[in-house]
Amino acid sequence: MTKKREMIFSIVRAALAILISLVVAMLLIFISADGSSVGEKFKMTGEALKQLLIGPLFRVNANGVSFEGKRLADILSAMIPTIFTGLSVCVMFSANQFNLGSEGGIMLGAFVSAVVAIYYPMPAGLHAVMAVVIGGAVVALVMLVPAILKVKLDVSEMVCSLMLNYVIMYIIKYLMNNYYADKTKGQIQTYPFLNSSRIASIVNNPVINSAKLTWGFVIALIAVIITGLFMYRSRWGYQIRMIGINKDFSKYSGMKVGFIIVISQVIGGFLAGAGGGIEVLGRYNTFSWSSLPGYGWTGITIAILAGNNPYYVPLAAFFMAYLQKGCDMMATYANVPMQLISIVQAVIFLFFAAEQFLSKYKQSLVVKTAQEEIAAKAALSKEGGAANG
Amino acid sequence: MANLIANMLTPEFFFSIFRISAPIIYATLGAIVVEKAGFANIGLEGLMMFSALFGSLISYYTQNWFWGFIFALFVGVVMSLVMGFFAFKLKTDIILVGIAINMMGSGGTLFLCKVITGITEGNTLASTTGLVTSKLMIPSINIPIISSIPFIGRVISGHSLLTYLAFIFCYLTYLMLYKTSLGLNIRAVGENPGAASSVGVSVLKIKYIAIAFSGLMSGFGGAFMSMSYAQGWSLDMVAGRGFIALAAQAMGGGECFGGMLSSILFGFAQALGIKFSSIGVDSNLASPIPYAITIISLTIFGIVNKRKAYKK
Amino acid sequence: MAEEYVVQMKKIEKVYSNGVAANQGVDFNLKLGEIHALMGENGAGKSTLMKMLFGMEQPTSGEIVINGEPTVLSSPSVAISKGIGMVHQHFMLVPSLSVAENMVLGMAPRKGIFIDKAKAIEITKENAEKYNLHVDPEMRVADIPVGMKQKVEILKALIRGAKILILDEPTAVLTAQETEELFRELTHLKQQGYTIVFISHKLNEIKEITDRITIMRNGRSMGVYETKDVTKEEISRLMVGRDVVLNVQKDEAKPGETILSVRDLEYLNEWNKKMLDKVSFDVRKGEILGIAGVEGNGQKELVDMLFGFARPMAGTATVEGKPIIAKGQQEIRELGVSLIPEDRMLYGIAGNATIEENFISDRCNAKNLNKGPLFDMKAIHNLSEKLVEDYKVLCKSPEQQVGMLSGGNIQKVVVAREFSNNPKLILANQPTRGIDVGATEFIRKKLVELSRSGIAVLLVSADLAEVMELSDSLIVMHNGKIVAYFDDTKKLSDEEMGEYMLGLKEMSPEEIRRVCHD
Repeated sequence: MTKKREMIFSIVRAALAILISLVVAMLLIFISADGSSVGEKFKMTGEALKQLLIGPLFRVNANGVSFEGKRLADILSAMIPTIFTGLSVCVMFSANQFNLGSEGGIMLGAFVSAVVAIYYPMPAGLHAVMAVVIGGAVVALVMLVPAILKVKLDVSEMVCSLMLNYVIMYIIKYLMNNYYADKTKGQIQTYPFLNSSRIASIVNNPVINSAKLTWGFVIALIAVIITGLFMYRSRWGYQIRMIGINKDFSKYSGMKVGFIIVISQVIGGFLAGAGGGIEVLGRYNTFSWSSLPGYGWTGITIAILAGNNPYYVPLAAFFMAYLQKGCDMMATYANVPMQLISIVQAVIFLFFAAEQFLSKYKQSLVVKTAQEEIAAKAALSKEGGAANG
Repeated sequence: MANLIANMLTPEFFFSIFRISAPIIYATLGAIVVEKAGFANIGLEGLMMFSALFGSLISYYTQNWFWGFIFALFVGVVMSLVMGFFAFKLKTDIILVGIAINMMGSGGTLFLCKVITGITEGNTLASTTGLVTSKLMIPSINIPIISSIPFIGRVISGHSLLTYLAFIFCYLTYLMLYKTSLGLNIRAVGENPGAASSVGVSVLKIKYIAIAFSGLMSGFGGAFMSMSYAQGWSLDMVAGRGFIALAAQAMGGGECFGGMLSSILFGFAQALGIKFSSIGVDSNLASPIPYAITIISLTIFGIVNKRKAYKK
Repeated sequence: MAEEYVVQMKKIEKVYSNGVAANQGVDFNLKLGEIHALMGENGAGKSTLMKMLFGMEQPTSGEIVINGEPTVLSSPSVAISKGIGMVHQHFMLVPSLSVAENMVLGMAPRKGIFIDKAKAIEITKENAEKYNLHVDPEMRVADIPVGMKQKVEILKALIRGAKILILDEPTAVLTAQETEELFRELTHLKQQGYTIVFISHKLNEIKEITDRITIMRNGRSMGVYETKDVTKEEISRLMVGRDVVLNVQKDEAKPGETILSVRDLEYLNEWNKKMLDKVSFDVRKGEILGIAGVEGNGQKELVDMLFGFARPMAGTATVEGKPIIAKGQQEIRELGVSLIPEDRMLYGIAGNATIEENFISDRCNAKNLNKGPLFDMKAIHNLSEKLVEDYKVLCKSPEQQVGMLSGGNIQKVVVAREFSNNPKLILANQPTRGIDVGATEFIRKKLVELSRSGIAVLLVSADLAEVMELSDSLIVMHNGKIVAYFDDTKKLSDEEMGEYMLGLKEMSPEEIRRVCHD
């Protein structure tokens, strides 16, 4: 197929997947909408949908629609951790390895960074960098466990990483309860981060409803570019992708398949861990996560939506953050539980991952391209024949 | 230490091992059958969440535990068939289908819970715990003669109906796999689909049956979680049991009896964790034990396998 | 009259969707109660013909008449219901199940809801007795010898009511004793009125057991013969031969020093069948050494050994004196070895990657393609544009997906990569299989060109014309052994080749030893 046709196909497919999920969402909203009569229910559904679709950026009320800067800042902020987990999953899934450890990874990274930020004073600027890098490095090391077990012993990286998530969560909770908690507070949280470790804000406008966006967002975008370069412009990234496409081919070509698989998961771990650090040092004053944050799972959805291409990750992360915000808005203004997001997310995810979804349409495009090529070839050979004659 | 051992050697402790193992056994049996049919269902976790929710809800609305239980099974089977549709018909990677089901199983169940019950306490906390009463729980059974035996009676008797059923199902699943023509077909499809289809066995149909079986088992496991293990459904109550089952399947060599033993091992680890916390050790130090044991045992299992392959 | 035939296949044409015409106007018929040999080289169209008779493929045109009735065999189950059974080369058995369970799969006898195991065993025993095919019903299939597996397969077909049995190269996996036993059993079946199609390359077997022979070559039937009326030499001549003369232009080879040196390689496959038997040869700089032989006589195993995909039981192989046995692919490539793999879709390419990405898979770590931590994209683009041009890969741009190209163009991508990395030795395994004429010619020319520039080439090919005319010297493999060596292929006739390939003749060890130039 030509590039253009492939693009058209991808867009149609994506649009249809999103449409289907919105229809599912609509049905669920309709069922859950308040109202005694069907008409009333329809009205409520309409209200809820308005909140879901435009609520993330605009205030909708009787006076009309007005742009809300804070909501945009919220969405962009919410993208920071999921861009990192999305990138992490992209790298690991590209090698066709289903390591699901970014969920525990981001929590561990956040925790380690927090510890560095609280207990190890360093000059401002350097402190934040070191905290984030150490957070990432620790998670990278932890990811050696599923990676090496897979490569050496053929232990399922999926089961192993899932189990690791739980182990990580409980150990962090244990450490928090017993060693790091600020006992003067009612909630279990650490002491505040040292000021030198804070990630500064780009926008911090108390006037506009305390809209806030940190430099973490910019760092996330830089991470996108670096990961993109790594995957598409470096020999390791290249080998990761080739192994994901055809392992036998990669081995035959002389690649060190096992080593590269380990590398992919170590880098995936680093990204998740660093993301955790950037998230907590930017957004909070203390570390207080008491359960897995769910960013890892969102990261998987984002990677699937982005087709494992790092450059599409911000787009997919924006989409997910937008949906999340829409669901929040619905919960606030239309009384629809915000966990609707899980269902919408899973439906989109399923249709994106379905190979045979719209396969007939794709087939027709392929056939069309092939026919054109044959026609072009025939025309060419005619010309050639004429020239020879 | 002596304190701990004394604490462990009580009938209650052994009783709790069986109780804790039961849902893992169900999920493990589901994992075993799909693995025999040649694929993996990592969505057991999500399926159990759905079954747990609906079992609890329907028992509340009908005020009858039996209907809740039946509906839990029904939901498990239907959801698993939907998984099958995406995996076999739309050719979605079965692992990704599992991930999607698990996503829904987490937040989606909470959504449905809120929508159906109208409970909106706080933003995240909603459960059916307040709705169900003990009479809506799956009944426990006292076994007449055994219950009067000292110690053993208190270990074996008095369990929930579903705990006994879990062990019975180990045997039934074994019978199904090894003594019926369905089992023969499942194993043939998993090992050599070409051989199966060449004698007229429909590979697709067998795969649907296998995934539906895993859904049925998740139904049992889910019902057990919300209608026996705990009183009512709450968010993320399955807590990785669906994943542990995948490990138990692998560790048990993919067989029913081995899977059962592995499940009990995890049950033991968890019971131990609970015991730890009861004597003052932070429960967060004890809770990860079953997960850590899973990783360790998979590693040992991997080493053994590698040795075996090397010898060949 | 027509009634004497149980099967008539008339003017069968089969064109696959990729445009390959596998059968062209083939007539084939079977008489009741005969053993009928179907002979031909790999790719001659025998399997396609039999797949159509077993309902696995549909003919593009032509007619199949069974017991006098025109029949459409839309699936294997229809074929089974018409009394046709097939024993595939790769057994359709479930290893972990018992013999009896395999036997009754899909039609298991029941007692209540359970399988009646005793009944299944009884059925198996009964039939084993009746057809004189002795199997142990309670053993697991994984644990029984390959000869018994075959009997299980034959019994499976018979239990399902087969009156016509198609056996696809049944003796390829059997030892001499097992083969003898099989023949006794087949004769026994024949006496009971069963009709058997016997696909084989082995002339002695054909002469021993069959009544009639249909010989195929290049998708066409070369005629039907009474076995007793034709000599082995005649069969060999009909079966093996060049349909086209290629007329490859090439200068006299001027072989230099030895590059690849193989000594006494031995290999047993998983069924303990000897696939390589003391194989020794040398390939020198500037020459093409061809390996001819009917497929399955050890060529694949040999290439696997030389590229690190398998380990031999004994023997050595060196490239410029450095050992390559049991080395990784990277180390072997670093010694200057390139491989055109037999299965290009499995090993040759990453289908979902671009042409460019497929070009650099073996050299992604090379200094000239990297600049610091990143690829030197300009160098890579230059390389891929040059390769696309040099190897005439028909594509819109090097950014196109490889999997979307035609077979010939895919092979050109593989060849471009393997030829352009300054190899000292090229292992070319079936380099032109199943690709169009243009690409075939192009790849052959390149091979000759490279060898004349001083590269050693080992060419393995089932295409007789290719291997005879491209090679400077030639060895013939049969049953895992080198049975002939010709230092000059020009003097060689098709007839002579056929006799060596089919095992009618064998050179003396001294003559063969000449291929080792030490």
